[in-house]
Amino acid sequence: MSMEEVFHPMQEPMILAAAISIVVGAVVIVAGLTYFKKWGYFYKNWLSTVDHKKIGIMYIATALLMLFRGGIDALLMRAQTAVPDNGLLDAQHYNEIFTTHGLLMILFMAMPFVIGLMNIVIPLQIGARDVAFPRLNAVSFWLFAAGCGLLNLSFIIGGSPDAGWTAYFPLAGTEFSPSVGNNYYSLALQLSGIGTLMTGVNFIATIIKMRAPGMTLMKMPMFTWSILITNVIIVFAFPVLTVALALMMLDRQFGTQFFAMQNGGMDMLWANLFWVWGHPEVYIVILPAFGIFSEIIATFARKNLYGYKSMVMSMVVISLLSFLVWAHHFYTMGHGVMVNSVFSITTMAIAVPTGVKIFNWLLTMRHGKIQFTTPMLYALGFIPIFTIGGVTGVMLAMASADYQYHNTMFLVAHFHYVLIPGTVFGVLAGYHYWWPKMFGFRLNEKLGKAAFWFIAICFNVTFFPLFILGLDGYARRMYTYSESTGYGPLNMLSFIGGIGLAVGFALIVYNIYYSWKHMPRNEKADVWDGRTLEWATHSPVPEYNFAVVPTVTRLDEFWFAKKEGRDITAGKIEKIHMPNNTGTPFWMSGFFFLAAFFAVFNLWIPAIISMIGVFGFMIHRSFEKDHGRYISVEEVMATEKSLRGDK
Amino acid sequence: MKIDSSLPLEYSTEENRLKIFGFWVFLGAEIVLFATLFTVYFTLQTRTGSGPNGAEIFELTPVLWETFLLLTSSFTIGLGVHAMRIGNKKAMMAFFIITLLLGLGFLGIEIDEFVTYVEEGATIQTSAFLSALMTLLGTHGLHVTFGFFWGVAILIQVASRGLNPQTANKAFIFSLYWHFLDVVWIFIFSFVYLKGLIS
Amino acid sequence: MKELFPKQHVMGFGFSLLLTVVALAVIKFDMSFNMAFAVLLVTALAQATVQLVLFMHIGESEDKKTLYTTILYSVFVGVVTIIGTLFAMIWGYN
Repeated sequence: MSMEEVFHPMQEPMILAAAISIVVGAVVIVAGLTYFKKWGYFYKNWLSTVDHKKIGIMYIATALLMLFRGGIDALLMRAQTAVPDNGLLDAQHYNEIFTTHGLLMILFMAMPFVIGLMNIVIPLQIGARDVAFPRLNAVSFWLFAAGCGLLNLSFIIGGSPDAGWTAYFPLAGTEFSPSVGNNYYSLALQLSGIGTLMTGVNFIATIIKMRAPGMTLMKMPMFTWSILITNVIIVFAFPVLTVALALMMLDRQFGTQFFAMQNGGMDMLWANLFWVWGHPEVYIVILPAFGIFSEIIATFARKNLYGYKSMVMSMVVISLLSFLVWAHHFYTMGHGVMVNSVFSITTMAIAVPTGVKIFNWLLTMRHGKIQFTTPMLYALGFIPIFTIGGVTGVMLAMASADYQYHNTMFLVAHFHYVLIPGTVFGVLAGYHYWWPKMFGFRLNEKLGKAAFWFIAICFNVTFFPLFILGLDGYARRMYTYSESTGYGPLNMLSFIGGIGLAVGFALIVYNIYYSWKHMPRNEKADVWDGRTLEWATHSPVPEYNFAVVPTVTRLDEFWFAKKEGRDITAGKIEKIHMPNNTGTPFWMSGFFFLAAFFAVFNLWIPAIISMIGVFGFMIHRSFEKDHGRYISVEEVMATEKSLRGDK
Repeated sequence: MKIDSSLPLEYSTEENRLKIFGFWVFLGAEIVLFATLFTVYFTLQTRTGSGPNGAEIFELTPVLWETFLLLTSSFTIGLGVHAMRIGNKKAMMAFFIITLLLGLGFLGIEIDEFVTYVEEGATIQTSAFLSALMTLLGTHGLHVTFGFFWGVAILIQVASRGLNPQTANKAFIFSLYWHFLDVVWIFIFSFVYLKGLIS
Repeated sequence: MKELFPKQHVMGFGFSLLLTVVALAVIKFDMSFNMAFAVLLVTALAQATVQLVLFMHIGESEDKKTLYTTILYSVFVGVVTIIGTLFAMIWGYN
């Protein structure tokens, strides 16, 4: 590949501007760290951390950054389609932007946000001191960061992938996508996918094996249940993606014939494999949101969650069914009636357990004392708006009807109606809810509520018109349309809604800055009068989480302990074993990043050398004798004393 | 770390039990990984383009040798773990070395098999069937190769540090990995080679 | 010496060799495709079970229920992927 091809994206003024600002930003950060002599602090406390709380914060910070970039992509798309025959973006750019938008929002915004929240909360909710494999946890994060960085690099070096986030063959093959964009796709997703698989193993082990004494499975908080099920789906779905991406790389870069149009290849096999992973993936992003809403609704309705057993059962059923519905993503691909019928039935069936959950949330609120805090507003908004997304999903589930809806804006509206009111509201609610636990101060309620209203109302203004446009025949992924179609006015309305959404998200970010500056510190540890164990320890949480691991005898032990005047954290303090920080995950992922980067450009010798670096770190890890350290009783007691002012 | 001496060394600490548990979950993921490779193989099996099909290139004798070597290596590593549990470090190391040598033998035959295919004009680029076949076999072979180096690293640690909860734990987890690779091979032997040789 | 070769392991190894030989029957003898497939499936599953239970000791720890569930779930996903794909891409195709 010539230097000209590698750097061709920067011929575009917008991209050149972005590239310059990235370089400038990087220089500013490096200069700042150097000037304030913070490299040591940065390396010791963040780059080499194995603390689940810090890792969670890094995941969420990255997710917010990606939300910003994915959001700009969205605004660009809405601006381009706001009027017919618009010339803001040409077809190639539009393709790159909707591809990037999808990849960033699902894999580098929703996933890290969800994984970040599970990192922060799960050990605290089950009364553990960290996850089962803290160093592996760090590897997961840094591999994710490597994949994220790699994909973000693509738009300035070599060109973004442009075949959609679903990258169907033959379009995604080298004949129709000869530039390196889709090489970035296969390699960046592979890196972060390995990280996610490791997270799956880690959290299943953590939840199954490290719960506080007395906390049986049926006494776990509902968020913990949702995360357990989510990680089960991760462990069994991600290997399919690993294989599919490897086959894509082999086809594109090694001349194999898996998805080729000759020599026996089957291009549609890609779509099949992608969605065998892809459908469970959407449940991976939604189940944690369901868990978050369960916690928030129970807490702010001042009532226990209704129907605990059916909530658990419904998630177990969802996890099994999620592996049985994938072909509904390609009903129109040409297979026979039998296949479409089977998958229609399984798809309609999977709506049922989610319906059960909606009713349970409503019944939880019934006869409760509702507190309209920001997290609760998101939960209340979620229920009706997500339901619209859900029922349009049942419409799409019917294969024969889907021939009309497939790949129109109706579909786009459906999945945004489940992803945004579902996942995005869920993670925003969760991040407001658990922020005080992490940082010891609350986010500003006025700003939080203002952001919510902007987002909730403008979301509907942006996406409801798309249902109508879809039914009118407006296809997705089209960079423009002619005036005679009449699609103009509703698209303009959608664009205006998009601007409102942007304002809402800007308020969310501004809230962080404003709260940091103005909100009172020393907020009490149990700021919401919560039900679950994380509220029993201090805010911010000390490194070891709990000085004394609580004993649990029932569901919502902390809530009942408060009612009965018991302190569940009372007990004899003993020395606490903690793992040591290590830079290996960071460096190993760095070498992985390099290997993948060289592979994108078919530079195999440097790629192999980088992989040798990766293996070197693995061997180093194997021979490592570091068994962690002990925090002495005196040190624990001193920390507890200094934090007790918060209680 | 609290050591429970009523349990075998590799299970004797809480951290050890966690690691064994976590590895079993990982094996669950690996089952799905290989199932996906089998899916691709079964789907593309008959799509041979202008290239040969299975019956035309598979040879039973080397495949039987591969099967015998891998099966025996699974037996010897089982004996190695048993020797470890009765505290016989020398026997454990001997069985592990035999296991790794058998694995090397397996890899040698497999590499020879691939070279033969290429010489016959059946390369990974020839047809969808051959791409699928070699990717399935190759992924298994890469796993065995990685296992070989992992096994050597563990042997070095057992030799220099002796049998303690950490080294025993690593050796046991490695044995789980090695047994798993034999299970995958059984399915390859049956549903790739034998099935291919019927039709 | 005898304590190095526990009976269970030796019998398991012998049984696995036997199952391998039995599987060979599908190419040594003439039989219908369905019969051959059944022989292969039964022998392969039997060998896999021997490995899991006798060699990998899946049932020896306090976590055995969870481990069996994990393996079952993964086999479920694997089988669904194989059969579902063959159904959608080949058998169910027009």
